[in-house]
Amino acid sequence: MTIWDLPKHAKGQITGLNASVNSNLGQRLEEMGFVEGQIVQCMKRTPFKGPLVIQIQDCVYSLEKALAEQIIVSASLASA
Amino acid sequence: MQKIVLVGKPNSGKSLLFNQLTGLRQRVANFPGVTVELKSGKFDQYELVDFPGTYSLQSMSQDESIAVDQLQKAVESEQTSLIVCNLDATKLERSLVFALQVQALAKTHNKGCIFALNMMDEVARLGFDIDTQALSEKLGSKVFAISAKTLIGISEFTQALKNIAASPETAKVKDTEVQALCAVKAASQLAREFGISQDIILKKQNTLDSFLLNSVFGALAFAAIMFFLFQSIFTWAAPLMDAVESGIAWLAQLSTQMLPSGMFNDFVNDAIFGGVGAFLVFVPQIMVLTLIIGLLEDSGYLARAALICHKPLSVFGLSGRSFIPYLSGHACAIPAIMAARTIESPRKRLITMMTVPLMSCSARLPVYALLIAVFVPNVSYLGGWVNLQGAVFFLLYFGGILTALIVSKVLNHYVDDASNQSDLPFILELPSYRLPHWRPLFYKTLNSAVYFIKRAAPIIFTVSLVIWVLGYFPANGDLQNSYLAMIGRVIEPVFSPLGVDWRYGVAILVSFLAREVFVGVLGTLFNIENADENITGLSEQIQADGFTLASGIALLAFYVIALQCVATVATLKGETGKNRYSWGVFVAYGLLAYALSAILYALLS
Repeated sequence: MTIWDLPKHAKGQITGLNASVNSNLGQRLEEMGFVEGQIVQCMKRTPFKGPLVIQIQDCVYSLEKALAEQIIVSASLASA
Repeated sequence: MQKIVLVGKPNSGKSLLFNQLTGLRQRVANFPGVTVELKSGKFDQYELVDFPGTYSLQSMSQDESIAVDQLQKAVESEQTSLIVCNLDATKLERSLVFALQVQALAKTHNKGCIFALNMMDEVARLGFDIDTQALSEKLGSKVFAISAKTLIGISEFTQALKNIAASPETAKVKDTEVQALCAVKAASQLAREFGISQDIILKKQNTLDSFLLNSVFGALAFAAIMFFLFQSIFTWAAPLMDAVESGIAWLAQLSTQMLPSGMFNDFVNDAIFGGVGAFLVFVPQIMVLTLIIGLLEDSGYLARAALICHKPLSVFGLSGRSFIPYLSGHACAIPAIMAARTIESPRKRLITMMTVPLMSCSARLPVYALLIAVFVPNVSYLGGWVNLQGAVFFLLYFGGILTALIVSKVLNHYVDDASNQSDLPFILELPSYRLPHWRPLFYKTLNSAVYFIKRAAPIIFTVSLVIWVLGYFPANGDLQNSYLAMIGRVIEPVFSPLGVDWRYGVAILVSFLAREVFVGVLGTLFNIENADENITGLSEQIQADGFTLASGIALLAFYVIALQCVATVATLKGETGKNRYSWGVFVAYGLLAYALSAILYALLS
């Protein structure tokens, strides 16, 4: 599953990026905190498949579907 | 002069630190990437250069690539002696990624580097402390705990900075274990050791966000904030505008009495007080608008607004980030077009820049305000909360936005597909909510007025002078038999489809230099004509002159759409690098405005 599939309040652990992500974007995502093993929590989903709001460590980001679908997570953690 | 470079991630209190160190007033932006220009100020005998906030040395959008290029040049430069990395102590990991990259760069070029651990007041408030000594050992550079907001540690930091700048070799980066790791890993390791618990910091932010980003309340709050913004331009500014107007009238009366009657007296009265004075009345509105946009920016709400707007704007081929240029375009199109640099996709950026001139900028305000005062009655409903003139204002602003969205949708079909491939997805950091810093905001508001007057006054004065000379001679004050009337009657047929006579035609034509000139020209013309009467406001003079509702609406529509600003065309040319975008937009909006207002007049009269 990807970040896009996380229901509200659910947490996931990042396992990697989609292979199709270009290296520039991939590196930027890493620098923004999207690295393997990191816990992501979905804070909010907006109507009409709008951008979702996630918390990753010390930052809150808003990202759109096209991007959220590139980040793969495992839903091994119970929701908070 | 030796340079000190100041860098840091967006929203880390860097701009505020810069202000504290240099005493220079500049904007404190709370939205990622607003600081697109390099700011510099004097610190002791050094030049302190403030770099735009970036996340990384690897750039993603145009403003970042400018910032990164400049930063690399600056660090390499002989003139640079020291680099100061600003860190957000509450978000240690994120701000360290970039800071560590810069530190490595400084090390390569053998430059001094120190860290300012900012926002320590927040850390203390949450009951934490950070061991700067230990952090400094791990980093291999000195770390200073400060708060640019509450001034904790600022005087010590200032003193230390002076000492280090005098002998920068003392701040050379020492080798440590951490430096062997890549920036992302090193930041994560250091944050685990020194950082504070994130859940506590984000708790307040998340509580507010659950309300402000709620699909129902959030949308209502957004609509309410926008409506409040536009209402306040009219209602808050009104007493100030009245004061300016009566002040000018008083001065005009005084000068008329003091000066011997004759041509010079007429000139002062018509061109100076009538022309330039009529425009000064609208300066308070520009200040109120700047103040409110500044408030939204400082508080952190603008990023939320961009998020709320992303989905609706993407329907028209724009990004949520287009919201910021669109909003600041209501103050002035020039900084707004530059703010479009933060838009991640080149295609969306181009479309945003081309449609920003449709936002009702503050130069349109004088024109709107004058025409509204002429034919919309000043009545209030709901106990003074909703004012009819304010509501018409809102409608005009809305009309501009709507036109921009339609034009964006159309442009989306025509902008070549090649630029589609480099489209980057939308990602935005939601910064913590913060109380605005009143002093910088106050200066910014004042500066907006000064800037506007400085930019517009010379044009308005010159135009008023020329118009007055042409309108006064050869019949010594008989406007209908002046040179201007002769010229005006030649061009009159062009403007008759809008239902206005040659006087308005002249005003419209001249206002292609800058819109606000329209008011000044009409002020001059009506003052020449009504020389014998008592001085009244320009709107009363136009009312007395007889002005139909239909031409009022036609003129308003014209001013909503037309791109009448030489400076905006020049900025568009500079930012897009192509004449076909700048002058193309100029011609296209001119024709569209003319056609629309002619149709409106034909329908209404």
